[in-house]
Amino acid sequence: MAVKVKIGLIGALDMLKFKNMSKVREMAIQAAPANEITADYAINNHAKALHPDFQELVVEKVIDHEGAGAKTFLMRSKDGGPVAYFRAGQYLSLKLNIDGSSISRPYSISSCPKDALQGVVSVTVRNNPGGFAAEHMLREFKEGDEVLSSGPQGNFYYEPLRDPEHIVALAGGSGITPFLSMAQAIADGTEDFDLTILFGSRTKEQILFREELDELAAKCDRIHVVHVLSDEKADGFEHGFITADLIKKYAKEPYSVFVCGPEAMYRFLKGELDKLGLPKKNIRCEMLGVTKKITEAEGFPKEAAGKEFDLKIRQGVYEYSFKASAEEPILVAIERAGITAPSRCRSGECGWCRSKVISGTYFAPAENENRRWADVKWDYIHPCATFPTSDMVIEVPAEYTPK
Amino acid sequence: MKKHYDIVVVGAGNAGLSAALHSAVEGKKVLLIEQHNLPGGCATSFRRGRFEFEPSLHELCDIGSEDDPAEIRQMMMDYGVKVDWKEVPDCFRIISKYSDGTPMDVSMPFGCENFIDKMEYYVPGSRPKMEEYFELLNETVAGTKYISDSNGNADSNVLKEKFPNLLRTGSYPVTRVWKAMGLPQKCCDIMSTYWGYLGIDLDRMAFIHYCNMFMKYVSRAAYIPAHTSHEISNAMVERLRELGGDIWYNCRAEEFLFDGDQLCGVRTSCGEVECDYVLANINPDIIYAKMVPKELIPEREKKLSAARGKNYSARMYTVYVGLNKTAEELGIRDYCIFFADTADSVQEYKNILGGFDKNNFTIFLCNNVVNPDASPAGTSMGFFTSMGNREEWSDLSQEDYVAYKNKYARKFIKTLKDRAGIDIEPYIEEICVASPWTFARYLGTPEGAVYGYETADWDGMMARMMMLNEDYPIKGLRPIGAAGPRGDGYSSAYVCGRLMARLAIRDLKEEGR
Repeated sequence: MAVKVKIGLIGALDMLKFKNMSKVREMAIQAAPANEITADYAINNHAKALHPDFQELVVEKVIDHEGAGAKTFLMRSKDGGPVAYFRAGQYLSLKLNIDGSSISRPYSISSCPKDALQGVVSVTVRNNPGGFAAEHMLREFKEGDEVLSSGPQGNFYYEPLRDPEHIVALAGGSGITPFLSMAQAIADGTEDFDLTILFGSRTKEQILFREELDELAAKCDRIHVVHVLSDEKADGFEHGFITADLIKKYAKEPYSVFVCGPEAMYRFLKGELDKLGLPKKNIRCEMLGVTKKITEAEGFPKEAAGKEFDLKIRQGVYEYSFKASAEEPILVAIERAGITAPSRCRSGECGWCRSKVISGTYFAPAENENRRWADVKWDYIHPCATFPTSDMVIEVPAEYTPK
Repeated sequence: MKKHYDIVVVGAGNAGLSAALHSAVEGKKVLLIEQHNLPGGCATSFRRGRFEFEPSLHELCDIGSEDDPAEIRQMMMDYGVKVDWKEVPDCFRIISKYSDGTPMDVSMPFGCENFIDKMEYYVPGSRPKMEEYFELLNETVAGTKYISDSNGNADSNVLKEKFPNLLRTGSYPVTRVWKAMGLPQKCCDIMSTYWGYLGIDLDRMAFIHYCNMFMKYVSRAAYIPAHTSHEISNAMVERLRELGGDIWYNCRAEEFLFDGDQLCGVRTSCGEVECDYVLANINPDIIYAKMVPKELIPEREKKLSAARGKNYSARMYTVYVGLNKTAEELGIRDYCIFFADTADSVQEYKNILGGFDKNNFTIFLCNNVVNPDASPAGTSMGFFTSMGNREEWSDLSQEDYVAYKNKYARKFIKTLKDRAGIDIEPYIEEICVASPWTFARYLGTPEGAVYGYETADWDGMMARMMMLNEDYPIKGLRPIGAAGPRGDGYSSAYVCGRLMARLAIRDLKEEGR
């Protein structure tokens, strides 16, 4: 059976119509006006505002939290416009130039999203022993200083499509900052959930943002703050560490636990959280960074300990060579060499520093492993959470910077 | 001295990757630049918690089996790119309404015979017409291949002799051909399902275009990569490196440089490079508005842009879910379910562009149905795809953005529960919503659309293919990608990239370079 399909009355005319498709198209084109071509789209502009390549900020005010050994840097956009809107809990990666190195550090935003619309955003930095960047910022940053920042980053925020209405926040030290942002956002109606913050500090005097937190809790019945003091006993304060029992005491079912604090707190909490028997989806930890004691990490090749290797970095048409320690993330060595490289979370999670290994071997600790399957297969690494175990050649992408 | 390349490809999306690889295979010195730190554009992946999500690929047609490779599998073999392809079990399930308003819940299989058999089951008595229809489909596919292979120089005597039905139907829209053949309306309704993949309703889409896509799925089945489309893109980049090509990430092309009217280089955010040719995986409106000196833009290109009237078809919207139960536990049996209010594509396209209250269109996919190892043991993952209109996503403020995109997500999660009985809500471990803003961010396309320009009416695929020599007037520059002759979609983009690279190499040869 040979099928014969025709649409018009005369098949031959249908065939001609086919042949004439280009003529019809040309007529449609020629009938249009030769206007200047423009390409300005509201949707693309919104996307750019939400996810800028970088933000140029100026320190407007420095607030000293004396007892807590911390400072809040309130920053305004250099051009006076809004800064990128964000979700309470997100962080900024700040670029710092220290002694010839161009380094980045992620800091959770301690101000609320609404302030961003007014062009203001704050981060809070606490002194920690050996904290090279924190020391520098606490010592050097003053009003009027310009700071180069990323857009808002990270996934540590309340997500109503996923999380129960009650969040139990476990905070230690400067780990309070994302929760301070969340609490402000709840109080001003930006966010809609119940937040109970269990905040671990050594002593009453050392509680960061104590007044602000207590004020928010007094103002809004969806916010509860419980101070947990490790080194002091006092009325109205819990004593000791944040334990499973303490969490149960304050949690309303169903709830999720959000954790942000120093490395030691995570190590301690791991066992406590296991006791709660919560599903994985109900425990969210803000990124930890990379352990300072990499030689103790499981699987670290012992023979690499203490060694230095030759690193060759290719970036576009440029090539750089320098030494790198097996006990420091590759990103740190890159920065020390004065190379501007992309980075954001410095925990292996976000993949912003994704780079291609051309040759050499490396160690990537399992607790920071967050690479894509095909990146593992083809030797792409996240240099912020990867350590050299031989001489290496690596292709590192450029970073967008102001001109 | 500045670095010199034969060909610079701007944008490592699917068309860009294919163009770069073809050029490198042909011995050209190639630089591929990409504004993000990942290749692929849409064809990538992202991690959340213990999940690695596929951002865009529903299924790739034109792969075929290992023994009998179809065009894309063959292309990847020619490029030397290896991908672990997993076969999708069925065409689709669609839960919607027939044009006459009666409920529709049908699942269609791959394979022409199977498809006709199943159609007979749903629409008794349809077999003779469907068999006739598939004859027309086969002729159309063969004829299109002949035209395509002839690079715009098809012999009209051969066409008349071998492909008369193609010639008679090819210039008409899909629904006109169906009507002329007297196909039962219910068959047409079921076969309309794929229209959304091309972003244009079937009253305005050329039959030849739809027919080719439809047959690529039905006759050759569909595939997805085992490890998200980032696997395809990474494999292509890896091969490009082996062939001596360079790739620069986080590098944005800012301006094309000319010597007289001949392109001679690119100013990028990483410095200037010299080259003989640029294949730009960028929408032409953006190229002309921002990257080419105004005085070099030909009059006809301005008219072409005006005639297209910034009609980029619909903008994309997706919701990715990582679930802490297996597909089996959740009762998910289908890889791909289309949810629509009506099988009438004209009405449904209007609904989609009608904003939140009218747009109930979504496609839900569960990767684990094809590949049980797509996510960790005890979990599953999937994503909803829909589209959106210009105004709703343009007029939205930064403050209202999250609430608005979540409102759509809630609607689609509820659709899955109410209409397919699959309740995922309590099991969401990770969720991520990508709106037109997200697509605009990662793709840089106008409004976050992925279709280029509507391949409709006078500007259909075949008409574009016939005018390859008129449409690219700037010496040394060809836009590639969804806005090109083949329209949107993974396989179209791969084919377009290769076609344009071929033409670029031809141009260079003619100029003696």
